[in-house]
Amino acid sequence: MKPILEFEDVHYYYPGQKRSALQGFSIALPVGEKIAVVGRNGSGKSTFFLHCNGLYRPQSGVVRFDWQPMAYNRRSLQLLRQRVGLVFQNADDQLFSASVAQDISFGPLNLGLSDVEVRRRVQAAAELCEVADLLERPTHALSSGEKARVALAGVLAMEPEVLVSDELMASLDPWVRLRIFDILQQLHDQGKTILMATHDLSVVRYWASFVVVMEAGQAVFCGSPQRLLTDRPLLEKTGLARVWWRVEPSFPNEEG
Amino acid sequence: MHIIDRYAYNNRIRNVEPAHKASLSLMVLLLCLMLNKPLVGLVAAGWMFLLAVGLAGIPARTFGRVLLAETTFLILTTIGVAFSISTRDPGSITDWAWQLGPFWFSSSPDSLYYGLVLVTRALGCASAMNFLALTTPLVDLVDLFRRWRVPPLLIDLMTVIYRFIFVLLESLDRMYMAQDSRLGYHSYRRGMISAGLLGSRLFIDAYQRSQRLQIALESRGYTSELRTLPSRYKDDRTVLWVSVAVAVSLLLVWAVGNWVIGNWIIV
Repeated sequence: MKPILEFEDVHYYYPGQKRSALQGFSIALPVGEKIAVVGRNGSGKSTFFLHCNGLYRPQSGVVRFDWQPMAYNRRSLQLLRQRVGLVFQNADDQLFSASVAQDISFGPLNLGLSDVEVRRRVQAAAELCEVADLLERPTHALSSGEKARVALAGVLAMEPEVLVSDELMASLDPWVRLRIFDILQQLHDQGKTILMATHDLSVVRYWASFVVVMEAGQAVFCGSPQRLLTDRPLLEKTGLARVWWRVEPSFPNEEG
Repeated sequence: MHIIDRYAYNNRIRNVEPAHKASLSLMVLLLCLMLNKPLVGLVAAGWMFLLAVGLAGIPARTFGRVLLAETTFLILTTIGVAFSISTRDPGSITDWAWQLGPFWFSSSPDSLYYGLVLVTRALGCASAMNFLALTTPLVDLVDLFRRWRVPPLLIDLMTVIYRFIFVLLESLDRMYMAQDSRLGYHSYRRGMISAGLLGSRLFIDAYQRSQRLQIALESRGYTSELRTLPSRYKDDRTVLWVSVAVAVSLLLVWAVGNWVIGNWIIV
């Protein structure tokens, strides 16, 4: 297994809070996989994601991307942020421009690409995310499903190798979700690594090829969904068994 | 706000180069200010109305409603210029005086004329600005300012403020409804308290949003400037020619008024 992102004993705490958000967080994420990150609210998922492209810097421990420890100078960060794209939970936090086309063009322009190339990328990302017909619309006139896809297009226009999405699907209807899963599948087929925070058992079971379970700022499980779903003691311990059993009464006995 | 915005994005000259639309508006604005004659202002307002309705396809009612909102302020100001109130008889200054209780209301041909100049000039200027606001979305104006070398910091501020108007309006709406559904506005007293809470909460919300925006922008490689691709516009010079025609007509009105008709009051 070739790891693309590695965290080694990472600690991070927010000033003024008693408990660290990450305390001894260690994982190795395999390249090209569809990775689901599960864990309760406040277990440190978002903090973990904000470390993935250098927005947060660990207070202790090491984060490695593509074997290299992350450097936090301007040039390295610029490169890192092109290779690791982050989609935020609330699209409104990400969209800053009143024009959809201009918002999508922001990332690629920051990469110092030519206008011609930026235009090509905006068009390509918009078509992939099925927002090409919205390019001339004002951002504030979009529905939340459209905003989510525009936000995704804004990140994909930078052509990252790793896509990290923080509960992107949480408030979207099932149709938009399916469309986004189609997009993610296409990215997966291109060999990209996809990380997604989720609370949804079916995503873990049918979509993910690798799962990370977080609890109180630590990774308590890293591995295939099959292994997780048959690890009865772990599921009991993390409380996942009880939650998921409610959704799907046959679970996890059938695998057990 | 919303209604202006809606037409700015959907009108027949939406994709015309914003510099052409801005030059039309600015030219009319400048001429109204410089020529300073009632007839010029009226003709300018008429032109802008015709162009907004005929060329851009803005409904006459919408143009009227936007202008009406501004006219209310305008009329209040003009009344102050055209009429004066005092407690003494202004008979020594003007013959146009009426007594009402302890007060004297007075006016004079001169102050009426100034009132007229003020109203018509402001009407012309406001129409010119409304034309621009109703036909050009802010993103295009920002684009134009960037080409006119306005400092990037100001441009970025405009971009973010404009976007946040809508984001915060949405928050405001949601918070208000949440309060209302829990009877936050069932009495005047509770209403005042709720509105206060809403206001302070909105400030915190705006602050937290700005921090999340900062992080999201950095994540896409933001360093110090919000650079975006310029939009592309139709290659159509109609508006440019129209603005020349309008400018010439305003100058003609002024010249004819000044030298031919002479002392006629409205000129």
